[in-house]
Amino acid sequence: MPALVFLFLFLVLPLSSLFLVSVTEPSLGLGNYAKLLGDAAYGRVLFNTFFVAGVVTCVTLVIGYPVAWLLAILPARTAHLLMAAILLSMWTNLLARTYGWMVLLQRTGIINRTLIDLGLINEPLPLINNLFGVTIGMTYIMLPYVILPLHATLSGIDPAIMQAAAITGAKPRQIFWRILLPLSLPGIGAGCLMVFVMALGYYVTPALLGGTANMMLAEMIAQQVQSLLNWGLGSAAAFILLAVTLVFFAIYVRVVGLGKRS
Amino acid sequence: MTSLTKNAVEIHHLVKRFGQVTAVDDVSLSVADGEFLTFLGSSGSGKTSTLFIVAGFEDPTSGSVEIDGRSVLSVPPNERNIGMVFQRYTLFPNMSVRDNIAFPLSVRGRPQNEIDRAVAEMLDMVRLGSYAGRRPSELSGGQQQRVALARALVYRPRLLLMDEPLAALDKRLREDIQQEIRRIHRELGVTILYVTHDQEEALRMSDRIAVFSHGKIAQIGSGSDLYERPANGFVASFVGNSNMLRGRLRGVSERMASVELADGTVLHGLSDANLIHGTQVEIMVRPERLIPSSSRAGDLTSLQSVEGTVIDVSYLGEAVQYEIATRWQQNIVVRNDSRASGLELGASAHFSFHVHDALVFPTQPSAS
Ligand SMILES: Nc1ncnc2c1ncn2[C@@H]1O[C@H](COP(=O)(O)OP(=O)(O)OP(=O)(O)O)[C@@H](O)[C@H]1O
Ligand SMILES: [Mg+2]
Repeated sequence: MPALVFLFLFLVLPLSSLFLVSVTEPSLGLGNYAKLLGDAAYGRVLFNTFFVAGVVTCVTLVIGYPVAWLLAILPARTAHLLMAAILLSMWTNLLARTYGWMVLLQRTGIINRTLIDLGLINEPLPLINNLFGVTIGMTYIMLPYVILPLHATLSGIDPAIMQAAAITGAKPRQIFWRILLPLSLPGIGAGCLMVFVMALGYYVTPALLGGTANMMLAEMIAQQVQSLLNWGLGSAAAFILLAVTLVFFAIYVRVVGLGKRS
Repeated sequence: MTSLTKNAVEIHHLVKRFGQVTAVDDVSLSVADGEFLTFLGSSGSGKTSTLFIVAGFEDPTSGSVEIDGRSVLSVPPNERNIGMVFQRYTLFPNMSVRDNIAFPLSVRGRPQNEIDRAVAEMLDMVRLGSYAGRRPSELSGGQQQRVALARALVYRPRLLLMDEPLAALDKRLREDIQQEIRRIHRELGVTILYVTHDQEEALRMSDRIAVFSHGKIAQIGSGSDLYERPANGFVASFVGNSNMLRGRLRGVSERMASVELADGTVLHGLSDANLIHGTQVEIMVRPERLIPSSSRAGDLTSLQSVEGTVIDVSYLGEAVQYEIATRWQQNIVVRNDSRASGLELGASAHFSFHVHDALVFPTQPSAS
């Protein structure tokens, strides 16, 4: 019962009032939604948001899978060290990590400087204040969220199953595609959902590493509400984000299932 | 090139160390083509380690493994043409029974009609035809191991390895599948290396048994070799039931040793080992070789007897087992046909046995 009260006070109530704002300001109706989904400039923001979230999800999966696999097969002590490194980076202050990337990626940053010194480029590459910088920064921050669920799934797979596959004549590549990958789908699903949904609404990294030309949705909401005091449009954008998130979650539950009950 | 022999597997001086632990300690053996050879030994004796080196999952510290006369140490597991059934259930949980059995042929890129035919044949062989569409999680343990057997045989491997495949099953089911494995071995003539710690299973199934102890082979031979002519006290007590009577060596002549027990009783038995006069030895008699009689055995014959009091009687169906307290403070076990003379609890009796049924070994260094 207290849980229900809590849910009502801190979830249902604020969401309802937010929704009310989105359909009443500046005038009654679905005008804000029509504007967001119809206007090309806002469409561009939505596209950026999904594009970056999609790319970040793919890249974290491709990088995170081998790491999770290493964690599962390394001797316990080495695996603990690696895990500690991952968790430590997760617990480091988000702003500190994002500023770290700014130092690395800016026009006069280490990467550009090194490339110029090596004579590989003449002009500094535009690595920051655009979607490229956002993608890099977010990939880094999201990695643990795909590694941890994947690690849980992978370490639950009996290595003897892989040995059994090998002895029947399967090559390592065949074992990966036909046994290991299908068996790790629940972890892949959970990790990707987590990263994708988090990336959709991410604010700090896009705000610091992104540019004004290519905004993401969370930035736009902040801008609408804080700078333009356009509460109606901001609330509507937040609701679109929420709806999309729920759709993805529903798909995930449908495909993978919530628990492991069959 | 090297071999005129018909040996399927040759293992020479195999050693495997894990840090300080020597899991396999200088094991050499050969397996004849079509033979059913069992590794029998207690937990941690190195059976799995040896098998895993043959399979290619582990590299030996030293020594060699040859299959059909060729060293396989540099060949990865997937190219060794070996089938294997594991102690744990290792069916692919994401595939149906049919796809599990088809997997080895499918990764070899065989045509679909050939795969279908082979899978149907294997399903027939392990009598699971009606289960083809099920997932492994919908099968019992025994059914899963039969599917694993089918998966291991569908590509007609040169050699079949089985690492305690029935350990997790109950006795009835285990005996059923033992029969099935025997039948399949007869039908296919495949060479089998089998691992178990169950001596009954080893005796029932194998052509030959290698008894493992602390990473070494204590003895290798047929079941009756091990039972009738154990090479040492360890094998004698590990294979079959036995009474090991402790005593002191009084003398040896022409393989016949005299042993004095604690109460002064002197018994005789055969011995091959180099025994030292006056040292502690054990005299081994199988429970079923002790025959109850009302009087002492005569001195003329090669029969001898011990005397004791029945302190426990267990009826086992086809046999009755008695526990006997003796005058030298060591209980012995006697087992007889249940129709033979019934002894009452508390009765005193003589138990005679032939000198050739008694074997004398040096006392084992107390094992860990
Ligand atoms: N990967 C490993 N690392 C360290 N020690 C190991 C490893 N594998 C086996 N050992 C050790 O080697 C010895 C032999 O192990 P092995 O698994 O071969 O025994 P086993 O005869 O198969 O026993 P069981 O009947 O319990 O399966 C044991 O002392 C074991 O602890
Ligand atoms: Mg083992």
